Amino acid sequence: MSALRSYGLLIRWQALRYKWMLPMTMVVQALFALGIVAGYPLLFPEIDRTTILFLATGAPAISLIMMGLVAVPQVVAQGKSEGSVEYIRSLPIPRLAFLAADLSVWTAIVLPGVVFAVAIGALRFGLPLSVSPLVVPAFVLVALTASCVGYALASVAPPMVSGIVSQVLIVFVLMFSPLSFPAERLPDWLRAIHSVLPIQAMGETIRGSLATTSFPLSSGAFLLLGAWCAGSLVLALAALNRRA
Amino acid sequence: MLLSISDLTKVYRGGTRANDGVSLSVEEGQVFGLLGHNGAGKTTLVSQVVGLLRPTSGAIAIDGRDAVADPGYARRVCSIQPQAQVPITGVTPRQAIDLVGRLRGAPRSLVRRRMDRFVEALQIGEWLDVDGERISSGVKRLTSFCMATVSPGRVVILDEPTNDVDPVRRRLLWTQVRAVADEGSAVLLVTHNVLEAERAVDRLAILDHGRVIAEGTPAELKTGLADELRLELVLEPGVELGAAEVPAFARRTTTAGNRLIATVAPDDAGAAVRWAGDLRIANRIEEYSLVPATLEDVYVQLVGRADADATAAAANATDSAAREGDDVRAA
Repeated sequence: MSALRSYGLLIRWQALRYKWMLPMTMVVQALFALGIVAGYPLLFPEIDRTTILFLATGAPAISLIMMGLVAVPQVVAQGKSEGSVEYIRSLPIPRLAFLAADLSVWTAIVLPGVVFAVAIGALRFGLPLSVSPLVVPAFVLVALTASCVGYALASVAPPMVSGIVSQVLIVFVLMFSPLSFPAERLPDWLRAIHSVLPIQAMGETIRGSLATTSFPLSSGAFLLLGAWCAGSLVLALAALNRRA
Repeated sequence: MLLSISDLTKVYRGGTRANDGVSLSVEEGQVFGLLGHNGAGKTTLVSQVVGLLRPTSGAIAIDGRDAVADPGYARRVCSIQPQAQVPITGVTPRQAIDLVGRLRGAPRSLVRRRMDRFVEALQIGEWLDVDGERISSGVKRLTSFCMATVSPGRVVILDEPTNDVDPVRRRLLWTQVRAVADEGSAVLLVTHNVLEAERAVDRLAILDHGRVIAEGTPAELKTGLADELRLELVLEPGVELGAAEVPAFARRTTTAGNRLIATVAPDDAGAAVRWAGDLRIANRIEEYSLVPATLEDVYVQLVGRADADATAAAANATDSAAREGDDVRAA
């Protein structure tokens, strides 16, 4: 059985399993973006153009990160508890094919909702976006990295722990990550932490690819995300291969 | 020997000794039963065969090849119906069976043909295209059986395949289990349902506290009990039979709830029926039966004896520990 054939069949299986998630995810992401774009201006009545740009480009980033770091670990942990991961492990399938299929399906589920998030932001503020030609690879890289990190978290930690960690991450991503505000507002120590975590790099990559005239698209962010993506893949793979 | 397990021991990280020096082997075309209480170590054993768990010591060979060193090989040549329900959320039985058959490497046409055969034989056609969330646990279990056998491994492991399945389909299932063995697979059947196993298996091993306490054909295991009869009384609610009331011919008496079970020699059959008849007339029992001893009787006897030995050993250990304690204090 070739890895490619396994990959194709597993994509079909996971797509069937998660088919109900696509419409739901799109609705949740749209509501999320609406909340950020319409909610923040209530907190700060007078907002300038930079703030608006941050909000409009932060919304899709936040919605992508939330899906990857919060929704993915929850669903994977559920699969672990109900035994579907163990069952797949008992089949003669290359582990990498299984992981690749699962992550492809996740990335495909998360991406369409983001288009909504971008559209809502642009419409609400009448924002002229200047979209980079790298927008597609940038979004795919962010979605894939977020899903990989979430996947690795759920693979390595017991379901209870990954549940708690992903709850904590919600607050951390929403309030203490430079996604809808500039990083300069954070205290130095938190900025230092964010310079190695993938969250800020995700935000910068999304921002830079949507508003090229206002924000740079840095190769450093791409590299950092690539490293996180690869590291999480190795962790998840090791967890799948482990024999207790 | 297709599957050969020798001196297999599995100690979990917490110190639980789930398998303790287990040796057994299964031939091609054979249905081998693995019997035991809940927690006897049956599922731990099969998880090691398919490479999901690593043995602490011992060896597993499939077709002469080391399955512990090469879990990928073990997965290719074994197919398993796990004890836990296979999650088929979001897919129909048809999709699940088809996908697993092809993931195991069988061509599409062969998968179709074998799926049709099993679905017809097990009479589950009406649920074939119903979403997994809306089918009963019994049909799910049968779907899981089809997933394990649609493209069977050389070793087919069935862990409690009849749980939740209705009596009619259970019989149909046992026929298919035999058919899978007849096609050349070695079938390792895990169950705690001794009565059903007696009819379905060629050989069996009884596992207790991780050890094999008996192994052989059902007939071999029943030798010694072969001529004996089993008398079972169902007491009327509130009625108790004191030890003094039970005649001497009723040996090895055990009670479970409102049932009293005893072993009776064939020569005493007449006396036993008269005694039970009298109890019935006196309205002290609801009903009784007198039947040849079954594998279940052997099982209860063996596991009971093993448990008693274990308890005695533990008591001895405690005694000697206490004595050592005294010695230390005396010194």
